[in-house]
Amino acid sequence: MRPIRNQPSTLGLASGTAGMLARKGSSQVSGEESQMSGEGGALTRREMLGMLGAGGAALALGGCGGSGGARVDESAPEWRRYAGTTLNFISENTAPTAAIVANLAPFKQLTGIDVRVVQLELAALVQKVALDFAGGEGAYQVIYADPYQILAPYADALADLRQFADDDKLPGLEDPNDFFPTQMDAAGRFVDERVLALPYDAPTMIWMYRTDLFDKHAERMEQDLGFDPRPSADSTWEQFYATSKWFRDESDDVPFGHGNMAKQHDSLMNDFSNLLWAYGGDYFEDGQKVGRIGVTEPGEPLLDSPEALEAADVYRRLVEIGNPGSVGWDWTGLAEGFMAGGMAMAPLWHEFAASIEDSDIKGKVGYAPLPKGPKRRACMYGGCGIGINGTAPKAEQEAAWLFVNWATSPDIQLSNLKSETGGGTPTRASVYRVPEVKRARQPPSDLPNVLTTNAVFEAWLPENIGLRPKIAAWNECDTTMFTQLSKMLAGQQDPERTMREAKRGFVRAIDTAASLARA
Amino acid sequence: MGAVAAPKTATAGPRDAPAPKRRRRGLSFEGRLMAPALTVLALLSIFPFLYIVALSFSRVGLLGGISLEWAAFDNWTRLFSDGAVGASWLRSVVYFVATVGLEMFLGVGIALLLHEIVRGRNVLLSALLMPMFMAPVIVGLLGRFLTDSTYGLYAWVLRETGIYTGEILGGTTAAFVAVTLMDVWQWTPLITLIVLAGLASMPKSVIEASSIDGANYWSRLRHIVLPLISGVLIVALLIRSMDAIRYFDIITNTTNGGPADATKTIPIRLYETGFRFFDLGYAAAIGLSMLAVSIILANVFMNQLKRRGLAK
Repeated sequence: MRPIRNQPSTLGLASGTAGMLARKGSSQVSGEESQMSGEGGALTRREMLGMLGAGGAALALGGCGGSGGARVDESAPEWRRYAGTTLNFISENTAPTAAIVANLAPFKQLTGIDVRVVQLELAALVQKVALDFAGGEGAYQVIYADPYQILAPYADALADLRQFADDDKLPGLEDPNDFFPTQMDAAGRFVDERVLALPYDAPTMIWMYRTDLFDKHAERMEQDLGFDPRPSADSTWEQFYATSKWFRDESDDVPFGHGNMAKQHDSLMNDFSNLLWAYGGDYFEDGQKVGRIGVTEPGEPLLDSPEALEAADVYRRLVEIGNPGSVGWDWTGLAEGFMAGGMAMAPLWHEFAASIEDSDIKGKVGYAPLPKGPKRRACMYGGCGIGINGTAPKAEQEAAWLFVNWATSPDIQLSNLKSETGGGTPTRASVYRVPEVKRARQPPSDLPNVLTTNAVFEAWLPENIGLRPKIAAWNECDTTMFTQLSKMLAGQQDPERTMREAKRGFVRAIDTAASLARA
Repeated sequence: MGAVAAPKTATAGPRDAPAPKRRRRGLSFEGRLMAPALTVLALLSIFPFLYIVALSFSRVGLLGGISLEWAAFDNWTRLFSDGAVGASWLRSVVYFVATVGLEMFLGVGIALLLHEIVRGRNVLLSALLMPMFMAPVIVGLLGRFLTDSTYGLYAWVLRETGIYTGEILGGTTAAFVAVTLMDVWQWTPLITLIVLAGLASMPKSVIEASSIDGANYWSRLRHIVLPLISGVLIVALLIRSMDAIRYFDIITNTTNGGPADATKTIPIRLYETGFRFFDLGYAAAIGLSMLAVSIILANVFMNQLKRRGLAK
């Protein structure tokens, strides 16, 4: 009676509809249609609506589908095996990704692969990735894997990159030892030996200061303060505090000595953590391991230790004398305040150097590692890797490997550094040895981010790097930390209560994450 | 036998008496007409609602596809014992009263002024309505820009005049006032528009009669105008209340709940629980509590309208 309905069903709605659409254009379709007409006349309205509905649904599903599958040419050279494939790369809207987006043509020429890049703010990125993992569709094959918000909680959904690096059919990784070891561990691993991401960017907090103002007042400051205020290997947070106060009280060049990124935001946790570690506190026992490799069971938080309380108190005092805008600033707000002349110095992500050297204070800024505390110097590392979605089809994962490999290669890291569109700082040590890059370490520089090289090299040393805990519950722990700190800065609670409440929040968050992981 | 006899009776029926209507099996004609719409509604609304109810009684795992593990009343127990959520509800109530109260007061005031203006009313009204047509997210970004202590115009004016020298979005009270005023700025025009429509529909004869009887402006407003437009006011209140409960965009773009949680209203808490911590079971419980409050509020207003005979 109804030949179309009697067709054997194929692969679900989409392929069934695709088959239906294909048949429309073929002679066989004409035969079936005429047969239908002969038996029962034209399609009924219901049938037509049904077909249109199915077609619409198939189109909608197809639209959600993303890449449309990888194409594999087994006989092609290793870089050309997946020519014709389209990959989706989801990334935070960072300078390195802006540079990659502007420089995708060479990748297309090399591989024949199209890459669609979705750039989002970090919070939105984390949501999209988590929902993509939950859906299991692998819509984004290449993922900007924040070590704390994506890599740790969703490690099992990311592919182990060693399988691709060791695959003879695929191009291997160019000198894996060229990555900085701390970055390779912090951005790429979680708990075990698997490599889940390759270091892609490396923002690190350093001390930025106005050289013109320090030079102008150095002598007088030294007399007043009893120490040389210019940043050095021996500079301490107490000296930072005294210097800031001096600028506020004694200088008319800037209204305040320093600023902080103390908004109720991830930035506040980053800003505070530098002092927490410097004063000997930590989030968990064996904090360096928890930060560098990550753990599944971090144990009891140490936030109520005397060192942590002291760090909280110092931080509170520091923010009190700084630019009052600090409590409303995240890192971007602080950088803008610094560039607008609102302070003489600031702890900031080193990648802001590019913006600073393009602002009114161009050439007037020095870059140094953060001051040290009684225990050590700690410079928060905020680098991320790029990984491959383990829920994507295998061939797409292999195509994604080509992109991950290419984007983190020394050549591309160098070209990103030179990009006029974006920037970032290379995660490959060899790039810093390129003569042109070495020359750019001194001002005037065409590569402003390289001006920070001495500072970040010092900051990346294992004893100086600041690594926040890499645990599955970090999103909630982070929120707890910056919320409690914000309450302290608002004068609602003292440092002791702040850290006690933070500890309680950490315990609750870890318990919740554990119970969700079991679900 | 009866079964055989029945058709006979039925056959004789048309001549002797009207045939009883045959009861049709399945959906009526109207039912069939509505079926597609109801199916879509079920897919878009009822099924997600039931799913959220199920989520609220579960621990939700995300990896490898969404998985639900029965958690009994854990999420609901937590909801009623969570001090942070209670504080967010309290903030939402304060925020609700402040925004809706200010919007009603200003909206009615501006509408009364515009109602008195004859020349250029449309131009003024068009200009006044502009904020309403902006996306709330843009209002949030604009507000953040204008209140930024480095380059914000409002921050500069307040600082130069000595009214407020701190960081507007960095102070607990200042930030709360700022996000409240941003909402008031955007949505007061809606109240004005609704009230203006109510004023335009007032019977002129009643107003003229009260003038002839010697009523001054204020007594006319109190005893004639406001009672006449009270139904419209309740509708405006209802619309804005539903919006105020789920106020999200401006806060998330300006303070994101800070400082010190001063602007963390319940929608921000819900978003944080669901899409930052991915505790979807607990987020579902919070969301359902918001739905319950919205329904209660809507019923309160609807009862008011019914009492005035303005709704069935």
